Amino acid sequence: MTKKGIFGQILNRFNKMKHIIKVNVNDTDYEVAVKPGAALLELIREELNLIGTKRGCGLGDCGACTVLLDGKPVNSCIILALEVNGKKVQTIEGLATGETLHPIQQAFIEKGAIQCGFCSPGMILRTKSLLDEKPNATTEEIKHDLSGNLCRCTGYTKILEAIETAKAYLNGEKPKDIEFQPQKSVMNLSVVGKRLPKLDAPDKATGRAIYTDDIRLPNMIYGKLLLSPVPHAQIRSIDTTEAEKVPGVKVILTGADVPDVKWGTSPARYDETVLAKDKVRFVGDVVAAIAAIDEETCYKAMKLIKVDYKELPAVFDPEEAMKDGAPRLFDNKYENNINTRVDHHFGDIEKGFAEADHIREARFVGNRTYQNPLEPHCAIAEWDRHNKVTLYTSTQVVHYVHHQLSRILDLPLGNIRVIMTNCGGGFGVKAATNTLEILSVFLAKRTGCPVKMRFTREEMYLYGRGRHKQYIDLKIGVKNDGTITAVKQKAVLEGGAYSSFGIVSTYYAGSMLATLYKFPNYKFDGYRVNTNLPPCGAFRGHGCPHPRFAFESLLSMIADDIGMDHIDIRKKNAMEPEYHTCNDLDIHSCEFQACLDLVRKKSGWNKKKGKLPSGRGIGIGCGGFVSGAGYPIYRSKFPHSNAIIKVEEDGSKAVLFVGDADIGQGSDTILAQSAAEAMGISFDRISVISADSDITPLGFGAYSSRVTLMGGNASKMAGEEVKKKVLSAAAQVLNISEENLDAKDNKVFVKDNPEKNISWQEAAAAYFSTGGPLVGKGHYSPPEGLGGTYKGAAVGTSPAYSFSATVCEVKVDMATGKVRVLNFWDAHDCGTAINPMAVEGQAEGAVLMGMSEVLFEDEVFDHRGKILNADLHNYLIASSADMPLIDSSIVDGYEPQGPFGAKEVGEGATLPVFGAIANAIEDAIGVRIYDLPITPEKILKAIKSKSK
Amino acid sequence: MYISDFNYHKPQSLKEACRILASSPDAALLAGGTDLLVEIKQGLRHHQDIVSINDIPELKLINIENNYLQIGAAVTHNEIANSKIIKGFCPAISESAAKIGSDQIRNVGTIGGNLCTGASCCDMGPILLALDAALEIFSTKGTRTVSLRDFFINHKETSLNNGEVLSKIIVSKTQSETGAYFEKFGLREAASISVASVAAVIESENGMCTNACIVIGAVAPTPRISNKANQILKGCKITELTENSPLLVKTGEAASDDSLPIDDIRSSTEYRRDLIKSLTQRAVLKALKNN
Repeated sequence: MTKKGIFGQILNRFNKMKHIIKVNVNDTDYEVAVKPGAALLELIREELNLIGTKRGCGLGDCGACTVLLDGKPVNSCIILALEVNGKKVQTIEGLATGETLHPIQQAFIEKGAIQCGFCSPGMILRTKSLLDEKPNATTEEIKHDLSGNLCRCTGYTKILEAIETAKAYLNGEKPKDIEFQPQKSVMNLSVVGKRLPKLDAPDKATGRAIYTDDIRLPNMIYGKLLLSPVPHAQIRSIDTTEAEKVPGVKVILTGADVPDVKWGTSPARYDETVLAKDKVRFVGDVVAAIAAIDEETCYKAMKLIKVDYKELPAVFDPEEAMKDGAPRLFDNKYENNINTRVDHHFGDIEKGFAEADHIREARFVGNRTYQNPLEPHCAIAEWDRHNKVTLYTSTQVVHYVHHQLSRILDLPLGNIRVIMTNCGGGFGVKAATNTLEILSVFLAKRTGCPVKMRFTREEMYLYGRGRHKQYIDLKIGVKNDGTITAVKQKAVLEGGAYSSFGIVSTYYAGSMLATLYKFPNYKFDGYRVNTNLPPCGAFRGHGCPHPRFAFESLLSMIADDIGMDHIDIRKKNAMEPEYHTCNDLDIHSCEFQACLDLVRKKSGWNKKKGKLPSGRGIGIGCGGFVSGAGYPIYRSKFPHSNAIIKVEEDGSKAVLFVGDADIGQGSDTILAQSAAEAMGISFDRISVISADSDITPLGFGAYSSRVTLMGGNASKMAGEEVKKKVLSAAAQVLNISEENLDAKDNKVFVKDNPEKNISWQEAAAAYFSTGGPLVGKGHYSPPEGLGGTYKGAAVGTSPAYSFSATVCEVKVDMATGKVRVLNFWDAHDCGTAINPMAVEGQAEGAVLMGMSEVLFEDEVFDHRGKILNADLHNYLIASSADMPLIDSSIVDGYEPQGPFGAKEVGEGATLPVFGAIANAIEDAIGVRIYDLPITPEKILKAIKSKSK
Repeated sequence: MYISDFNYHKPQSLKEACRILASSPDAALLAGGTDLLVEIKQGLRHHQDIVSINDIPELKLINIENNYLQIGAAVTHNEIANSKIIKGFCPAISESAAKIGSDQIRNVGTIGGNLCTGASCCDMGPILLALDAALEIFSTKGTRTVSLRDFFINHKETSLNNGEVLSKIIVSKTQSETGAYFEKFGLREAASISVASVAAVIESENGMCTNACIVIGAVAPTPRISNKANQILKGCKITELTENSPLLVKTGEAASDDSLPIDDIRSSTEYRRDLIKSLTQRAVLKALKNN
């Protein structure tokens, strides 16, 4: 009974009308009309407006949309709403009883198990069903049972701790206390150095936290992007006639409808257009943008857009792309497709190698990995009648989005308001302006409606900006005692079609090798090459993990050559405090030696190295990173981070306004701790408003591991100004000179007679009564003149550098090549840990993410440049079942440039992981793997080649 | 990415389901939907009619009748994994189901869906093939019973005809000294697709292997019985089967010989062949332990 013609269509539409279902959600009965094609997730989010249930992948792979259906966890994205007729659904909103949180929620908050929070609702519900079923679940059971809920932030370590704690609460037992030794530098501090739960954790545990996709504005419509299906082509014509006829379509924009302005990330390489002008350069390049009443209409209409492509030869391999005669992506620039060329020579490389007793070189190849934050990118743009646009977005960098939109729209910053909502993870992929942010603004302008645009998981991969795959030729020369005399590195970075962060990535690939070990002679040749693949960008550890993997691998190989212990050779060359590197970087605090000593001790290195049975191995890797880039991405004199504190007129509470972005790493909390400490108030008296360009002062945002140091300094300075004002008022009240007063723990007291005091609140109110608003402001700029004078000297500069070492123990299944990482012992020098629990969370997350990249992750393309694993089904990231035991330590340290002595942890902690695993696997199987990811297949091949 | 609209049917009986199937040009059955809905969302398929079979009571049954275990086609993986009846009958069936996907997937995905999708990497196929399971297939014309061994035709192709519904999976009771095991290899510790898998069923009497069935998964267009491996095992002494013993190595190699793997993003042909060698050994040894 095929239905044809117009009547058939009407009949079909009639049959496909909504059905009424009855469903009990969180103990409330609903009668709702649902479309046949609506998933349970849409029913929950769109119809019932319960936005705590998150859409992560849409295909049942990530677990972010987990709800309990008749008590059992299910992925609501791949269940038809119609199928829950008559059933009982529990979402995160139904877990707490009124204001009383469920013990699981409580435990997740207390134990720091929530970072970006996007996986948290699903994770918490899964935990509930797990503990309902198995109140005494073992750690192994929990790890296994939780594997359907992916988390990209925490490394699952704190989640497991939280579940153990929740288990105790539910069983009426006292949870185990964490053994923790505070650092020396926080001994006299009240707020800094405390293991405080993140400010946003309660909202994230209860599903109240608002992410961009949770916002629904009145009259809002939806936008989608038409992406190129071919890797390289001239666009002959685009015909949107049929598509425009689809009911519900509001507007379709193509290259002809948008300005010619070029945009991008680094000003020296702005090479993207708002929409493809004449050419597409990769499968995924943006050809057209459409707005319609809903996404489904967009998709249907997009199928009717006719694009006439004249295909051009394409090139996918960077080394091929560099050859003469290879297809060119840009006719008028980037000769031989070389998008960035770095030629650095420090010291005298010839002399350095001549002085060496032993030289070894090898080629290492990295992998093309994707950040995969659990939350897909999303942006909503809305124009008012005063030519002002407001953009809600999931970004790491409000300011750079603000700046870029101002350029593209040719409007002053004041006509644009960028509001960062909660951000469900970034790791670098949200560290620059993206196509949704730009095109939602254009679509909203044309339609007069607010426009929401969001990526699917597949579109995230196609937008790209993941890690550059690097081909590294590394040569190191050492003396017989292990002293490094010379290092030579050539790195070819597979760039993809556009520049994105690539110029910086290339410089970083070279510069950061010199911050960890002392060596006087260094040559770096960097090439970033355009290929017809999605553009690569900045991913945690920006440009450095692959060179660091190569370096840590080769250093261990050399140690074996000269009969030296792997930790000893590192100690021999380890960076030291107040050192000026061969490439003109200034290291201040450095506790690298302490990190090495600690992991040696904790891991039982001396008893294990070289002594484990076949199939078991132990390895060390080290790393470190900048605590914020010394220079901004575009030239500007503005301070990098700024803060304003406003105290209530009654002195009861303070609000900190900062432009920097909390993407889950916890910066709001850390900055609040810094500000509260500086003011002399307790943590319960401060709240934070961050990353809203109309309200908060400029902050460059969350990239280059900069927020703790830079935002922290600005917040501390603002706090100090407030304190000064409060002291001045107290001086009047107490009739004592201001210099003799100090403030701490909500009291203003006489320094040499603390018994004599008044409350901070009273003093603050007194200030307001006579002086008006009690406001403090702070700003931070890195020291002037950082770095050398050579071309590219800016990249790698920073006020401070972190250091870390990690030892990893693995078990390799010698018959299949499968690796089980058993343990990590990780030590990090982040100076003062403003919040040790958050620092551990960063380190644990970095370790697991690094492990996942080393063992599992790689984007695979077909011979036409189409990605084959743009999902979480075929592109695997580590699950809880894969997690090793992570013992992460913070060594004593103090960074004079940082607030209260603090420096970075977020990216530096990733860097040691690559080499550590590679070295451990080599120790286990006796063969080295030179290219990432280190898959079971490669390992088995290596084992077989060895036994031949 | 969206689920295109369709006509939704929720029959209460198999008969009704078959009637709807017969009257639609492209109807699809919906059980757990963990494959179907994903493929619709990805735009890989489209259906005018979708027939949910989750309300049909007989498809949800698990029972034992006259030494035959019967599992309704719409029984979920977790129901199988946790079923005392099935665990008591043959734990390897429950263990296989427990190795599929994540908990969320196992709570909705069904045994019928796993088999009818016909994927070469399906995780219920190998053990059920090794146990020589039969399928009861229902249509308006009545029921027919078919051996699972005749069911899989090619990757994503089964002998299920238009208008037919798989209703039951039937496994006969093995003799007392029988061990069975399903060894799966995925690239992650959990929630991953099989790169290669091996199911082994070993029957023995007085220390001799009287019958054996090795089934290799994800290494051929369908899960595949390795006759070569079976022949090696049949008649051997159980004591000869130890880790890396010549006979077991030979068995693994034979199973590997019978594989017809492909290169894909998960693995190369060569690696799959290697995997089968060691997975076969493990499956046999664990089957013997499970005895």
